[in-house]
Amino acid sequence: MIPVTHFVMLSAVLFSIGGIGFLWNRNVLITLMSIEVMLNAVNLAFIAFNRIHPEALTGQLFAFFLIAAEAAEVAVGLAIVLSLFRLKRTVRSDEADLLRN
Amino acid sequence: MSSIFPAEDYSPIALILLLPLLGAFVNGIWGHRLGKPAVKLMALAAVGGSFLVCVATVVQLAFTGGEHEHHRLAWTAWEWMHTTGGLQRSSVPIDMRFSVDTLSGTMMLIVTGVGFLIHVYSTAYMAHDKSFARFFCYLNLFIFAMLVLILGDNLPVLFVGWEGVGLCSYLLIGFWYEHLPNAAAGKKAFIANRIGDFGLIVAMFLLVHYTGALDWVGMQSGAHSLMDTPADAFQIHIWPPGGGTYPDIAGLPLHVLNPAKPFTITAATAVGLMLLLGCTGKSAQIPLYVWLPDAMAGPTPVSALIHAATMVTAGVYLVCRMSFVFALSPFVMACIAVIGALTALLAASIALVQNDIKKILAYSTVSQLGFMFIGVGVGAFTAGFFHVITHAFFKACLFLCAGSVIHAMHARIHDGDAAQDIRNMGGLGKYMRITRWTFLVSTLAIIGCPGLSGFFSKDEILFRAYVNHPVNPFAQRLAAFHQDVWVWPTWLGPAIYFAGLIAAAMTAFYMVRCYILTFEGEFRGWTIGRPSMFKSNPDIDPHDPDAHHEDLKEPGRPPHESPHAMTYPLIILATFAAFAGLLNPAPLTKHLPIEHWLEPVFESTKDSIITRPDADHLTWSLALGGIAAFAIGTWLAYWMYMQSQGEPARRLAASQPALHRLLLDKWRVDELYDWAVISLVDALADTFAWFDEWVVDGLLAKVTSVVVAALGNILRVFQTGVVHGYAALMVVGMACLGWFFVAPHPATSMTESNGDYTLTAGPGIGYQYRWDADGNGTFDSDKFGDQTSVKLHLDAGASKTVQLEVKNAFGLTRSTKIVVKRPEPSASAQLVEVGQN
Repeated sequence: MIPVTHFVMLSAVLFSIGGIGFLWNRNVLITLMSIEVMLNAVNLAFIAFNRIHPEALTGQLFAFFLIAAEAAEVAVGLAIVLSLFRLKRTVRSDEADLLRN
Repeated sequence: MSSIFPAEDYSPIALILLLPLLGAFVNGIWGHRLGKPAVKLMALAAVGGSFLVCVATVVQLAFTGGEHEHHRLAWTAWEWMHTTGGLQRSSVPIDMRFSVDTLSGTMMLIVTGVGFLIHVYSTAYMAHDKSFARFFCYLNLFIFAMLVLILGDNLPVLFVGWEGVGLCSYLLIGFWYEHLPNAAAGKKAFIANRIGDFGLIVAMFLLVHYTGALDWVGMQSGAHSLMDTPADAFQIHIWPPGGGTYPDIAGLPLHVLNPAKPFTITAATAVGLMLLLGCTGKSAQIPLYVWLPDAMAGPTPVSALIHAATMVTAGVYLVCRMSFVFALSPFVMACIAVIGALTALLAASIALVQNDIKKILAYSTVSQLGFMFIGVGVGAFTAGFFHVITHAFFKACLFLCAGSVIHAMHARIHDGDAAQDIRNMGGLGKYMRITRWTFLVSTLAIIGCPGLSGFFSKDEILFRAYVNHPVNPFAQRLAAFHQDVWVWPTWLGPAIYFAGLIAAAMTAFYMVRCYILTFEGEFRGWTIGRPSMFKSNPDIDPHDPDAHHEDLKEPGRPPHESPHAMTYPLIILATFAAFAGLLNPAPLTKHLPIEHWLEPVFESTKDSIITRPDADHLTWSLALGGIAAFAIGTWLAYWMYMQSQGEPARRLAASQPALHRLLLDKWRVDELYDWAVISLVDALADTFAWFDEWVVDGLLAKVTSVVVAALGNILRVFQTGVVHGYAALMVVGMACLGWFFVAPHPATSMTESNGDYTLTAGPGIGYQYRWDADGNGTFDSDKFGDQTSVKLHLDAGASKTVQLEVKNAFGLTRSTKIVVKRPEPSASAQLVEVGQN
């Protein structure tokens, strides 16, 4: 059986990749994907920890909640990206500075 | 019947009240969509239904209860609030409770009955008005508010109705609010009433303080405490305010302010004066009468219903209702009677020379209200209230006739003021027979033509003014306190009687003048409304085909009689105006139905009112005075305006131009108020406006805005609008938060008593502790444990360094040093300790 540590390490690596991608990339679509990666990393950690306490099921339960939250987030996020594209003809976040100053 | 509706839970009262409210609600919300026929049906059904229930209620009232017993039917809607009051400071419940006794039963019959007739009349009078639904909404709302006023079982509920009728009066005076003077008249009425309301509110406070109740029964049984408190019968100190004396302060000779004898009044006098202030506001007496003549700006049916028949008599009703308080203070009774007499004289003198038909009737109303005040002021509550009844019939009829006349004149003249000017009328009797005859009957009634209703009611008031005088029922007790007891002077009654006679003669003169100028002779309105007139009046558009029906060549249509919906109410009201006197035919017979009917209400005032022993012999000689006043006034008017075509009046006016001008200008009382009161208020308002403009707006607002703008400019730099920048800052913030949770935090709190110190460490997730409590620099144990607190003792002046180390769930540790020092006791504390030893 693969030890839980491995899963947690993988989760940490995925989270870091997502975080760096989120901060680095200027393309809003890729930013959204990075957020997805971070959320899935958290999901993985939940499932992994659930293996330590299999009787509680809290981790799996939270994983389901998180999937639902992710779906909502994607729906809203993509809608925002679409509106942004309609308005500014771009999906680059540094060009969307309507709220500047 | 009495088993279905017991006297203590008489729910039909709810029906009486809610029907007009329902009418107002429906017409107010859906009136525009319903259309005029439905609005008419709703309004008439609401008031008519209410009237029928009123009749049933009064019938039931008449057949329950014994002879001479003060019987009432009551209904509690809900428990409203509680307050404390009375000399024992007990709890006083104030319920939303309504009751009907003979007084309120009579009043509600008049309000709904006359109100219904005026509703019928209005459906024709207002038929072409664009705000038809709004008018009937207000009118129904008025009936509801007036019924709350009448049926309220305690003063706060009465006050709700009191304010409600004031509001409806305001809304209806300013009904045609597009015309600025109408809106101003509405405001004037409201503000004058507010001054009176202040008195009513203060009276309520005093009553609940002294009698410990606000409902009629409770106040009546507690009324004696207004006079009879153990400590001091003259409870209210006017000067020095609140009692006591002025000492000299810092060499200032304040003792000169101390009177030789403190100026005190009884609580009954204070309550009475405050109630009187409220009544003068609502019932248009001196000094607050000025709003009523201006209130004629409203539609004429409103003048008939609110400003003649019902609302303005609320003051008289309140005096009757609170008669048990007024009877305790002859001084207040004298004030009421004198105010009534002065108002009757003043208003009648103004009405002598007015030319606007509605203004004449308005001053006549003020004058007649003065008569009612004379009646209740001399303790003849029945006579005063009987005048309310008869006045409701003949004055409503007169106003509706005036409306009919204005309606007819409007067909020719579309200028409101010119259509109401009796100089433009004349000879209308030929064109409008029903209006003419009903007006004549009501005129004869109001001027006291023997046999008609006004004769009986006015004659009874004047007779009572002459023979009655109130005495203080607590005079002996007051004398025991070595206070002067105010005694009604013997000359006052006859003086009021003669003042009333003069006012009655003037009434006869101006009413007959009004009748002759309006209905007799030749019509003078043919020449009014020519194009030259419109040039002088910019409000009238000469190209509007509805604006006038007159040109120089065509004489135009003659005035016409009003439709049936207007004339039938006139006939009914005129019938009542003629025969209502038979309800109380005082000089003719001893059998007086109204007096008998109202007797239980005024039972408690019997001891306070004394009648001259020779009163019975004076009946006819005093009545002759009233008949003489009627005859002289009528004959003078007939001679001046009928036989001599107004020539003597013109000569008289020319010979006394100053007096004539003064009367035309209504004694310039409005100007006096402008100069004395309103300019002061304006000056105060200007001061505040200046403060607002220069200090609040100029200084405070500007400084604040500059500071905020500067801060905003600084903060604006950080708003780059780049999402990634915000995200990066968020990450930094999260990292800081994360570090805070990961690091352990050794925090302690300390309590001390007499050198025993207890140190407690703050809790945290998975925290474990180890202590160095003895201060030797090494921890007491190598292992971390669950010990969250340590105790130690220190002598005065000693100090110790305690160490605490915390390990959290991540295995991170951190330690802190706490220096505990007991301070030296201070010198004063030592002294106390020595003293204790």
